[in-house]
Amino acid sequence: MVTDNNIILNADSLFHIYESKAEDGNVVALRGIHVSILEGEAVAVVGPSGSGKSTLLKCLGGLMKPSAGNVSLVGKRMTRLTGQELVNLRQKTISFIFQDSNLLPHMNALDNVAQPLRHQGVLPRVARKKAQNLLDKLGVGERSRGLPEQLSGGEQQRVAIARALITNPKLILADEPTGALDPITSREVLELFSSLNKEFGVAFLLVTHNREVASFCNRSLELREGRFVAQHGTDVDISNLSGSRELIIDDTGTVTLPPDVLLKVGGPGRFDIPLNDKDVIHLERVEDEKIKLESNTELVLSPICPACFHDYSDSKTQLCPNCGSTRPMMEKEKK
Amino acid sequence: MTNSDIDELINHNAMLVIDGEESEPDNIILSQNNNQSTFVTNLNSSLDYIRTKSQPLRHKILSFPDNLLMAGKSSWRGRERVLAAFAGVFLASLVITTVLAYSVGLSSAFLQNSLENDVFDAQITFDEGPGKDFRTNDSLIWESTCEELLLTKGISDCGIVYGRQGIRANSIFDDDNIRAQPLVVDSVTAITGDWKNVSWDYPEASEQGPPINDNRPIRFYGEGIWDGELGDRHSRDTLYGNWPTNYIDAGNNRSIILPSQIASRAGVSVNDTIDSLTFTYVSDSAGGLDGGLDLIGSCLGEIEINFDSGFQFCRENLTVYNLTISAIYEEGQFGNPTLLFNPVMVSDSVLNDSQKLILMDNDHGYLGVSIDRNLLPTSSTRAATEWLDDLEKNLEENEYANSTVKIRYNDVISGTIVFLNIFLGIIQVFDYILMIPIIILSFSVLIYGLVLSLEQRKREISIQRVIGGTERNLTGMILLELTVLGFFGWFAGYVLALLSVPLVLDAVGFMSFRSSDININPTLSFGTTLFIILLTVGLTWFFGRSRVKDFLSIEIDEGVRKVAAIKKSRFWLHLITFIIGILSFVESWIQSNGGWGPFDSNGIISNFIVNALLLLFGPFMLWVGGALVLGRLGASGPRIFTLILGWSPLVTDIRRGLKGSGSSESVNRLAVIMLLTLSIVTLAAVQGYTGTVVDERTTSAENGADLKVQFSTPMTEQQARDAIQLAIQRVDNSNIQDIDSMTSVGDIFTSVKGEDSRLRTWILFDNHEDTLLWDTQTIPGSSVSDVSTSWSNNWFTAGSNAHTQIGLTEIESFITIEYTSYNFSFGPNGLETSSTVTETNIQYMGKHRWIPGLEPTQSSQVITIGESAYRSLVGNQTANSFTSNKWFFELCDVKDRSCADALRQLNSEISNGIGITSSTDWPTVHEENERKGGLIFGTPGLLSLQFVVASLASVASAFVFLSLVLTQRKRELAILQAIGASPNQVIRLVLFEIMAILLVSMGLGVVLGLAIAESFNGFFGIFGFIFQIFLGESAPIDRELIWPWFDLVLVNSSVLFAVVLALLYTTRKALKSDLAIVLKGE
Repeated sequence: MVTDNNIILNADSLFHIYESKAEDGNVVALRGIHVSILEGEAVAVVGPSGSGKSTLLKCLGGLMKPSAGNVSLVGKRMTRLTGQELVNLRQKTISFIFQDSNLLPHMNALDNVAQPLRHQGVLPRVARKKAQNLLDKLGVGERSRGLPEQLSGGEQQRVAIARALITNPKLILADEPTGALDPITSREVLELFSSLNKEFGVAFLLVTHNREVASFCNRSLELREGRFVAQHGTDVDISNLSGSRELIIDDTGTVTLPPDVLLKVGGPGRFDIPLNDKDVIHLERVEDEKIKLESNTELVLSPICPACFHDYSDSKTQLCPNCGSTRPMMEKEKK
Repeated sequence: MTNSDIDELINHNAMLVIDGEESEPDNIILSQNNNQSTFVTNLNSSLDYIRTKSQPLRHKILSFPDNLLMAGKSSWRGRERVLAAFAGVFLASLVITTVLAYSVGLSSAFLQNSLENDVFDAQITFDEGPGKDFRTNDSLIWESTCEELLLTKGISDCGIVYGRQGIRANSIFDDDNIRAQPLVVDSVTAITGDWKNVSWDYPEASEQGPPINDNRPIRFYGEGIWDGELGDRHSRDTLYGNWPTNYIDAGNNRSIILPSQIASRAGVSVNDTIDSLTFTYVSDSAGGLDGGLDLIGSCLGEIEINFDSGFQFCRENLTVYNLTISAIYEEGQFGNPTLLFNPVMVSDSVLNDSQKLILMDNDHGYLGVSIDRNLLPTSSTRAATEWLDDLEKNLEENEYANSTVKIRYNDVISGTIVFLNIFLGIIQVFDYILMIPIIILSFSVLIYGLVLSLEQRKREISIQRVIGGTERNLTGMILLELTVLGFFGWFAGYVLALLSVPLVLDAVGFMSFRSSDININPTLSFGTTLFIILLTVGLTWFFGRSRVKDFLSIEIDEGVRKVAAIKKSRFWLHLITFIIGILSFVESWIQSNGGWGPFDSNGIISNFIVNALLLLFGPFMLWVGGALVLGRLGASGPRIFTLILGWSPLVTDIRRGLKGSGSSESVNRLAVIMLLTLSIVTLAAVQGYTGTVVDERTTSAENGADLKVQFSTPMTEQQARDAIQLAIQRVDNSNIQDIDSMTSVGDIFTSVKGEDSRLRTWILFDNHEDTLLWDTQTIPGSSVSDVSTSWSNNWFTAGSNAHTQIGLTEIESFITIEYTSYNFSFGPNGLETSSTVTETNIQYMGKHRWIPGLEPTQSSQVITIGESAYRSLVGNQTANSFTSNKWFFELCDVKDRSCADALRQLNSEISNGIGITSSTDWPTVHEENERKGGLIFGTPGLLSLQFVVASLASVASAFVFLSLVLTQRKRELAILQAIGASPNQVIRLVLFEIMAILLVSMGLGVVLGLAIAESFNGFFGIFGFIFQIFLGESAPIDRELIWPWFDLVLVNSSVLFAVVLALLYTTRKALKSDLAIVLKGE
């Protein structure tokens, strides 16, 4: 149940445009996104490639400033913050997990995990101890001295997860966290996520293509062409989204129909609104002949001067002989 | 989860459910999910999350060792990038330290070079005259004062000397200075040698300084003088024999060291003995300008009256016995007159105690000291004199020998220093200018190294930011690493520079070093060292900081991305710089060529100031702009080579792979760095070699031949030959046995027929070219033998003034010259004069600029004819009995070291002979010129330094940058392999690409270097002109560039070699690494 005090991340009218000098011009990645993540909630973002998922994640996590719009993290407007304040806010709140683990290449696993704490000024010894504990818990404890390049993909990802967890974040933003992992490791990682989510109330926002990942979440948001078009429940089926879809109308009144829905209504067109009540709207396609165009209007010279009311009667003169005004044209009166 | 109060927020989203079941085509029913219609939430501002407080200091300190360790570890793991930055700092530190230390060293070398004649830097005497307090007549106590003096910083050696009386004067022309008399030699008796012939008069002594004494002085040296610094200085001029190694040695041998003129006149040599030597000391004096008592009556010895100063001295005799000649030294120039010139030197152990007491009582015992000349500040005249004043004050303040002695310090060298500093200023300015390119070079390597090195960290920094790295943390992290790195680089460069500078200072020509008697240990002051640290480490730090700031200012996301956008460089700026550089090159070429096409010798730009600015800055612009513009060409080397070699099976299969190469920033930088370094290498080699050759040519022009002898009376060829042959026999050096050839230049007056004005005419005798060292620059045409043949066939040349005087315009035109000889006879009317006029036709062959060994200014006034024309003018009889004061001799190959030594020996033998006005040998004249590099003292060393450093930089930067470039491309190579390229193809691809870049850059670098060398020639010309004005250096030789192809090939091939090594190493490493890992990108 949504209460006043459990929204952890809120985004408002996010727009993002990638500027490009290429022929195609700028790419609009996000077109007015609204989203809220509650404490302890796990949300998945699903959608086809190029729909703007990763961009959204970066904007939400403060890695990238959106072209327009506002992101609030625990009530702070992140888009307004700069430098130290932003880093401080993020340090204790959000962690990231990327598809490729993005470990620091010149540090071993342990130091990689300990690094976020070091950035917060925790003493090296303390940070290392905590990092080792985490790595142990994630089953890569004995590999803690290995450099990233010496670790397998799964190990790397677990190290990256450990690094994300070490700061006790309230929200983890993950971009295809299991993309580089085999199914079994993926499942282990998901179990871990799920236990973090349930036991510690860590909120998750995952970008994924994976059904298992999506179904771990409380709800899934469907992103298309930079807009959330719909929301799905836990039982989302990535291969067939139509079964669980809830369409979204945002505060500008925009609604975007997913392609399959559009197909079902018979393609784009104009719709009448025979029923529009609270919480219900009914649309009906407008037939072509229903709209009549009246384009046969005829213009004639005005019989009376609009300035001095002089009657031109049958005269064809263009200037008013009385006051010198130009004689206007007017619609011909229908007989 | 912690409690968080939430501000009022309105969610604008409404969730809608599509009523799927009921929806039919063309009908959608949307119904709102009412339970999630709105969330209104409150979020109380909570600062708990936000740690704005800075980290506690304790944490910082405790974390520091670990941070340092991490920085070290990460540096080690990222060796390539670290190496690039390190190389930059190292090179910059090396160059700047060398330039500054060289400048310090050069000053002291120049100073030492000029102070060579001054052995003692000061005379230390008693503060008060005889009969006053704070004196001692105990020579042992006096001698022990030395030990106390040596404790003072700045005093390097000290010893007792019996010689000139204590000076207590304020200036050298004070009465008190003239009153202080030296010990002088009275007579010598010996079995060997002809001592009766020897005159002990030495009038030069009072001519070259204040009128103190005109007899040969003698000094007795105690312990402390024979060895150490003072011993070294004395032994420098030793001609025959050896300077005694220490006091005991001198005492045991009862050593006497003679000046060469005395030895030569007495006809004695080393190890000959002297039975007795009588010298005189001054027991009393009177007179002077302030008058005084008459000595007659009171004087037990002889009264000597100095007519110049009006003083009377009572001189008494002392005699020492049984001396052995240990060494004979070459008499030096007349330097500072304080301690009088070229004395006879004897060990004081030949004096008995009572003699010592007498000398001490009469104020003849002083302490001779040397100061550490390296400590002399050379930055300005004032600094040097202040330093000396401080030393003097410092020494005079103290009391010595248990407060029984007070001293007075008489400075010898400060006058010399004041004079020299004017020269030094000019020299230093030029040296700094000469070093500008190499400093720019080192900084560009530093900056490129840092850019490349930091570029690799862009992604890392972004990842750190993702995981919560604050700006401060990250900046601190990178800067810590850079600072540690910078300090190592600075230290390595600094130490290496200080070690190598003494070597560079020994440069006597381009890349030719001879350990000289000049002993320099250039040390930099703390301030200068700090300055270097600031400049290198500070710049690294500063640059690193701004770069990290750049990284922090970009979006995190942009840094994490693996493909970075390519920045556009300012090509137009580079091109304009290059074009201005080329303009200056053309301008300088046109001016030196005396005009070209529509332009006269003023060149394209006639405005004086613009022209000067162009000539001064143009070379630098040509260099920098050229490197930047041509760097693009170098970077597209692979494309050029593909065009040329595209058909060959060697590259057909990898052609596609080469297509995109050369576009990357780092490859472009590699090419630019190669161009920058190799063009400097070329510049230094060309200018260095040219300078060395100019020095030799200048020497040849000045001295004319191996040996130039000026006799006091005219000699016939046979007489001159006999005189020199005798000297050769006396010297008895196996390297010179005989006179190979000799000649003279005749000097008569003629006039052009029909004109009154007389024309000075010099005669070149047949086969003069065997002896005289001709230069192609002075003669018309380019062949000395052709010109010589023409001279002997009645052709003539004219100096530029003579050319205008006789109004010659056409080459090959004939003129008739007349010679008038006068006959004197006693006729009936007394002395009768009759004259005979002879004439001859001579043909004009062109202008000469100078005649070897003769004054260049005179050469322009004369015409030069050959022997046949001379004979037809004066007749065979006169010609056969030709006499001249000046004769030139060809004796051996002067470039040969042993010949040079033999020549020096022979020269000093001859110049001390009777009937000789002066004699100069080629090696000695060359020694004066060789450190000039055709310009000014120290130039060859600088150019050698430039050459070495730029060569090192090119080899090192090729190696470092290449491995960095290849590390960056590891991924690309792995991708190539992944899509099916064989290792062989990959290696060929890399080899071909890099070699193509290298070869093209190298070629362009050398071409650019040659152009810069040419354009710098104009620049050097300006300076040569300035030196000529300020220092009166005569430089008849033009700087004709010499191209040292061998050195250029050597450097370029070693660069190639280093590159191939680097290539093999990195490519192998890239190929060996696991494809999957590389492609994963971690």
